[in-house]
Amino acid sequence: MITAERKPLEEIVESVASFDRILLVGCNECVTVCAAGGRKEVGLLASALNMTFLKGGKSVQITEHTLERQCDPEYVEELSQLVGGADAILSMACGAGVQELARRYKDKPVLPALNTMFMGASERAGVWSERCAGCGNCVLGITGGICPIARCSKRIMNGPCGGSTNGKCEISDDVDCAWHLIWERLKALGQTDLYEVNMDAKDWRPAGGAGPRTIVREDLAE
Amino acid sequence: MTHPQSNQSEGKVLVVGGGMGGMRTALDLAESGRDVVLVDKAVSIGGLMTQLDRTFPTNNCDLCTLSPNLSQAGRAHRIDLRTMTRVEATKGEQGAFEVTLTTTPRHIDIDRCTACGDCLRDHPECVSFTPGLDHRAPTCMRYPQAIPQAYSINMEQCADVDALVKSCPVGAIVIDDKITTVTETFGSIVLAPGAEVYDPSPIAALGYSEQPDVLTSLEYERLLSASGPTGGKLLRPSNGQAPKKVAWLQCVGSRARQADQGVSYCSSACCMFAIKEAIVTKERFGTDIETTIFNMDIRTSGKGYEAYYQRSKDTDEVRFVRCRTQNLQAGETGALQLRYLPEESDTFVTEGFDMVVLSTGFFIPEDIRTLADQLKVDLNAHGFALTDSFHPVSTSRAGVYVAGLFEGPKDIPETMVQASAAACMAATHVGVTPDASPTEELPPERKIDDEPVRVGVFVCECGENIGGVVDVDNLVSHAQTLGDVTHSENVGYGCSAESMEHIRETIVEQKLNRVVIGGCSPRTHLTRFQDLLRKAGLNRYLVDIANLRDQDAWVHRDAPELATAKGRELIQMGVAAVRQSKPLADQTLPMSQDVLVVGGGVAGMSAALSLAGQGFKVHLAERENELGGEARNLRRTLEGEDVRTQIEHLVAATEGHDKIQVYTGALIVDHGGMPGKFTTGMQVGPQLFYRQITHGATVLATGALANRPSVYMLGEHDAVSTQHDIESLLEDDTDTVKTWSKVVMIQCAGSRTKENPACSRICCQSSIKNALRILDVNPAASIWVLYRDMRTIGMQEDAYQEARRRGVIFVRYDPENPPQVEPVDDKVKVTFHDPILADDLSMHADRVLLSTGFIADDEGTEELARIFRLPRTEDGYLLEDHIKLRPVDLPTLGFYVAGTAHSPKSIKESVAQAQAAASRVQTLLARGEINLGAAVARVEASRCAACLVCVRACPYGVPFINADGNSEIDPALCHGCGICAAECPAKAIQLQQFDDDQILAKLEGLLERITA
Amino acid sequence: MSEPTPQFEPVIVAFCCHYCAYTAADQAGAQRLSYPANVKIVRVPCSGKVDALHLLRAFEKGADGVYVAGCLEGDCHFNNGNTRAARRVTQVQKLIEEIGIEKERIEMVLMSAGMGDRFAEVATEITEKIRALGPSPIRGGKPAPARAQTKASAKAAK
Repeated sequence: MITAERKPLEEIVESVASFDRILLVGCNECVTVCAAGGRKEVGLLASALNMTFLKGGKSVQITEHTLERQCDPEYVEELSQLVGGADAILSMACGAGVQELARRYKDKPVLPALNTMFMGASERAGVWSERCAGCGNCVLGITGGICPIARCSKRIMNGPCGGSTNGKCEISDDVDCAWHLIWERLKALGQTDLYEVNMDAKDWRPAGGAGPRTIVREDLAE
Repeated sequence: MTHPQSNQSEGKVLVVGGGMGGMRTALDLAESGRDVVLVDKAVSIGGLMTQLDRTFPTNNCDLCTLSPNLSQAGRAHRIDLRTMTRVEATKGEQGAFEVTLTTTPRHIDIDRCTACGDCLRDHPECVSFTPGLDHRAPTCMRYPQAIPQAYSINMEQCADVDALVKSCPVGAIVIDDKITTVTETFGSIVLAPGAEVYDPSPIAALGYSEQPDVLTSLEYERLLSASGPTGGKLLRPSNGQAPKKVAWLQCVGSRARQADQGVSYCSSACCMFAIKEAIVTKERFGTDIETTIFNMDIRTSGKGYEAYYQRSKDTDEVRFVRCRTQNLQAGETGALQLRYLPEESDTFVTEGFDMVVLSTGFFIPEDIRTLADQLKVDLNAHGFALTDSFHPVSTSRAGVYVAGLFEGPKDIPETMVQASAAACMAATHVGVTPDASPTEELPPERKIDDEPVRVGVFVCECGENIGGVVDVDNLVSHAQTLGDVTHSENVGYGCSAESMEHIRETIVEQKLNRVVIGGCSPRTHLTRFQDLLRKAGLNRYLVDIANLRDQDAWVHRDAPELATAKGRELIQMGVAAVRQSKPLADQTLPMSQDVLVVGGGVAGMSAALSLAGQGFKVHLAERENELGGEARNLRRTLEGEDVRTQIEHLVAATEGHDKIQVYTGALIVDHGGMPGKFTTGMQVGPQLFYRQITHGATVLATGALANRPSVYMLGEHDAVSTQHDIESLLEDDTDTVKTWSKVVMIQCAGSRTKENPACSRICCQSSIKNALRILDVNPAASIWVLYRDMRTIGMQEDAYQEARRRGVIFVRYDPENPPQVEPVDDKVKVTFHDPILADDLSMHADRVLLSTGFIADDEGTEELARIFRLPRTEDGYLLEDHIKLRPVDLPTLGFYVAGTAHSPKSIKESVAQAQAAASRVQTLLARGEINLGAAVARVEASRCAACLVCVRACPYGVPFINADGNSEIDPALCHGCGICAAECPAKAIQLQQFDDDQILAKLEGLLERITA
Repeated sequence: MSEPTPQFEPVIVAFCCHYCAYTAADQAGAQRLSYPANVKIVRVPCSGKVDALHLLRAFEKGADGVYVAGCLEGDCHFNNGNTRAARRVTQVQKLIEEIGIEKERIEMVLMSAGMGDRFAEVATEITEKIRALGPSPIRGGKPAPARAQTKASAKAAK
């Protein structure tokens, strides 16, 4: 899933300070699961904003609405009745959602309330970690199911580097060395020969290096 | 439902006496599926307790605690209630008693009488009197919530019968009502006729007959009562002025040395009664009133009572004077002059008081002795029914049981325990009958979806409880201004039968579809009002209670205006919440009919045997490797019963019973489930083999520990031991006992101290028991008992007086200056202060016996309380649901307590509580199915993001993601905690009854005036 | 107490677990203990039922102080509702600090059903603490306009 975190309240407040009517929009997909932008977070932010303004003696009208997904035009269409009554839209979705709103409601400022972080997995309740960088050319079959792009600080294709100590990355003891994990996993699988495979230098074009990417499924596209 | 057993005969139980005890017995029997005839000679049931204002130690209003029981008794269709009825004759034997019952005419058709009071208003001379201070009290009903709600007419007093008949608007007066006599068959009989309170008139020195300001404690209670003759004002009967100095004289008519001064035994309840009256006097009528209790000993040995006594001294500044003689004369100034000899003085003191209250005790009147005679039940010398320690509620006649004061003087909780125990025993002769009578006709639930919200607000005054602090009429008019409120009124005692009916009618007539009660705690009363809504054709979840009593009036007595303002806000919150409430459906599950008993001592075994005898499968878990518990160290009771043999019988019966599975060396390790379907895991035996059992109910009989405090050289010197330690010596090694020339006993060794503040209850009688046994073996021995208060309650007092007669010397010591014990070779030297000689004495004792009593098994119960999630008292005993009325039930439904795990007590009291627990278990399991209520979590699938937060957060692993990709929660498994609802990031889960709309509405209801 | 001006009377919301603190509050009544009338109780089946949203909304509606009262450590009727509630209270403390409300205005307290005296003590202490802090910074501002929460279900579009 795509993970995100709420921006500091101060920053959000500053971005919407000049508006009197705010439409606060949540998303019931990834950001709900990572507790950043679901109905509940929308409610909390609405409350927090309202109180911040009240404290400053300002009265702001905040309308809460959570869409099933902010990155699909049909769902986003649901807002059309509400947008008219708002001076600005504050989105609690990932960057894709924010942009979809901005694309559809061109005459309204659309502001992000979240910082979109990464594609990750939940390790346990309340903890999410980066797992995928969307590089467009998956090598997980060779690397024991552990991604060197997303999980190695240097994104090196043939690791580890000299900074790996006792399984930890040199940038922090809290960060596992991805290549150490790869080695341990391949050993456990009896596939250490895969470690011997010399991977080519990463071609970053499918990863976005060749410009914004689009997927077109000819059979589905209208 | 299927009941495990039905080998008893068909039939019913006769319960004689409709006081607290008789009511409890009847209710237990009815709830466990037996038919009962409850007879009382009085015009309404309730007994002595209905004349009390408040009860110790919680200082609750009695009417409030009593009335739910009363209306239950009046309502339960298995109970055939017959007032003004006496037992005339009995034939036959257990299983088939033939009893003749005679009912005197009431001249009122109970079903028609609406208790409007017109007959009393127009023809007061025709209406029967009421007991109380003023025999012309404003009503003939003994208290406002009388059951049955009907007057009684004395035709002989009536000059104009025709006019009387016409005065009744509903034609309820029956002129030619006649005495009726019927003979019926009963499987068993329970006697709970109570006792009477001593009349102090014969003791001329107390001036009760001459002095209007000398009252009995019950009369004083009526003065304090809001429904009493002065409307709850404390006024001197002589001049109508408020008293400034009130004295209580203890033991009036009890502990008497001469027959013309009353009875020789201790009436047991009067000390607490007097302390309570003194505290209530100060609380209600001004802390500047001086209150003094003149006493010989203060006997506060019940659970929590010692703390109450200490609080009365320390916080309420009640004065206690120990004195010997009492003589009362009218002084010239109108004050009463009390002459007394303080214990530590040799000169008489005279002191003036405005009012003197005589703490009169209980005795068995002639008509109860006659009843016993008819039933061929043996009595002791004082007229109480004879029972024994291992059969505490069984009379000498098989099939006839006894509960309450008729068994011996006692307090309400002990009466309630015996009442349930008697129900347990009586039920062994009578089979469970199918519920033949038609279940109460409930109207269909009204569909309210299309109705506009119409809220009714009913505010209780609860006598002084709410009305004395909060301006109820102000709340009523404020409620009318709230949104959707279409009706609001003051309903007085909202939980009285009369008010309940009125509320029901109002709901129907006004087409209300939401209700707010301003009353007491929803913890105690929500179910009753939910039932009421159901009866009024509404879904039971459309009501909320604003807790105006426990959480407003009672805690803000010093600030009535703030209390009223807070009351308005509580009503606002209630109204806001019910506006959001929706009709909900209850969930049900079948119940397990097995029972887990934890603890294999006397209490545990007795409970197990009682239940197994009724056909229930019992799992008995004992921590030790053998059954028996602490009682294994006892040899005899004060009454001389052979404890060891009895315990051996109990163990053999328990181990040999095919319905009882005994686990020794068993440690409870985990627990889950719900009332009616618990699962408990334990590790059994040396291999710690894990067993998990499913059971519908749990009895905790885990006992207490024999205290062994490090005081008075216990454990350091061979001549110092506990009363417990010498039990065997006294039986088996009398030669050693014969060598003792001087024995000193020290009471309260390790009890009533800072470390263990409770009184151990049993030690005074065990020191008397051992002193007498020593004298039996070695009449020349000189025995000294150093004590603080001799607490030989009830008939134990006779043994105490016998010990005094036989030369045992009793010397009171001050806990600030306790006896000193030091070693002198193989003896010990004991030094103590004798208050009468006003000098220190010291003596060489061959033996020092410490009365060490009990201490809570802190570690053991702490662990169990944690696993079973049960609360404990500060001193480590299990905390019951209601200290007065529900002493066996623990606060979690399905858990019951028996024996010393509840508080220190004797074998007899432990067995009674065990049988009571067995009865309470049966009342639960007879329900057959578990009502899980409606507080379950529900997922709104369209909102669910299948994020797994609920799946991970649920403490019981109930939610799962179903085939549709949404979270699903099985309502039958949901425990209703609401954790999932609070964590769900999509707000897709609501806990019914507590949904967000209702909680937020409450906040808005409370806070709207601030921001709006 | 000797101040000539009437002292500030804070409004305090206490979310009380049915099994412990709510019972303790009833006990305080039964024992006739007194505590300030400022505290208003909302009964919940478990302190774990108290949502961060409820806590924040209480402040938003104008409460000067809020506390959650749950069972003693290890005594939760539902295993760990009380520790979950405590974590949420901490989270809300951080959030209200961001808003500019003193974090001392909210706290978690623990007690057992039998602790009537502790209930009264806690209620008194918290009331005094909030009284000393003064009115909530958001009070005195303009009234909050009703905030629309659209009920339209997103999946209806499916």
